[in-house]
Amino acid sequence: MEITLTHYLVLAMALFLTGMVGFIVRRNAIVMLMCVELMLCAVNIVFVAFSRVTGDGGGHVFVLMNFAVAASEAAIGLAILVEIFRRRRTVNVDDLKALME
Amino acid sequence: MEGFLFWFCGILMVLGGVMTIAQRSAVVSAVWLVFAFVCAAGIFALLSAPFVAVMQVLVYAGAIMVLFLFVIMMLQGPVLEGEAKLMALPLWPAVAIPPMAVIVMVVGYLRSNGLTGLGDAAAPGFGSPVFVAKLMLGRYLLAFELISIVLLVAIIGALAIGKDERTLPWK
Repeated sequence: MEITLTHYLVLAMALFLTGMVGFIVRRNAIVMLMCVELMLCAVNIVFVAFSRVTGDGGGHVFVLMNFAVAASEAAIGLAILVEIFRRRRTVNVDDLKALME
Repeated sequence: MEGFLFWFCGILMVLGGVMTIAQRSAVVSAVWLVFAFVCAAGIFALLSAPFVAVMQVLVYAGAIMVLFLFVIMMLQGPVLEGEAKLMALPLWPAVAIPPMAVIVMVVGYLRSNGLTGLGDAAAPGFGSPVFVAKLMLGRYLLAFELISIVLLVAIIGALAIGKDERTLPWK
């Protein structure tokens, strides 16, 4: 069977949905950040697949941009998590509801 | 051959993602996430993007995941015990399968003549470092410069959030 663009898009969608479900069901903030990384990775697959089909390399460049964004997001998110843990001694998002009350 | 590689890397990648969210411990989740990223690098290699595949392993599976594991190590204690209702699954497949995946990927890539189902729009040299560099430092130079500002802001932000006022040298 020939592997077409649709296969890659469905694969990326499966990975994105996995990350999204994980972000919703998990309560550990570190794992939630990992799920965001999964979703970004799915986006990268779509970029590269369309880049391959159209023969334009712009997708590759923007995947590298996406790496920088993912690294920034991880650095800032984890810095915030460390600070929260220092003050509240937890990273369980169910226990972090100071803004809700 | 190409079909086999696609299904091999794709199914293993989604399996890695599912295991990432199905694990109780954050450390095991991180190892499975590295697994998923290595398989995603295989998908990039299949899509004739070797430079992106290498960067995926170096930056994602390397640098970013080390950052995650480092923070998990710093926040040791009750943090590692995640949700109690999740099942505990063995860790060894996450360690054993990625090297096999890489070997199958490389062997299959060398033996295949590229994908045929995606058309022939890609010119020779498509996805090579020179190809990406010419675009990045040419047509997309402005975006390249802007992303450096994003990184600078992230550095300053991480420093500003993480600092402990009592230990700053000028206090």
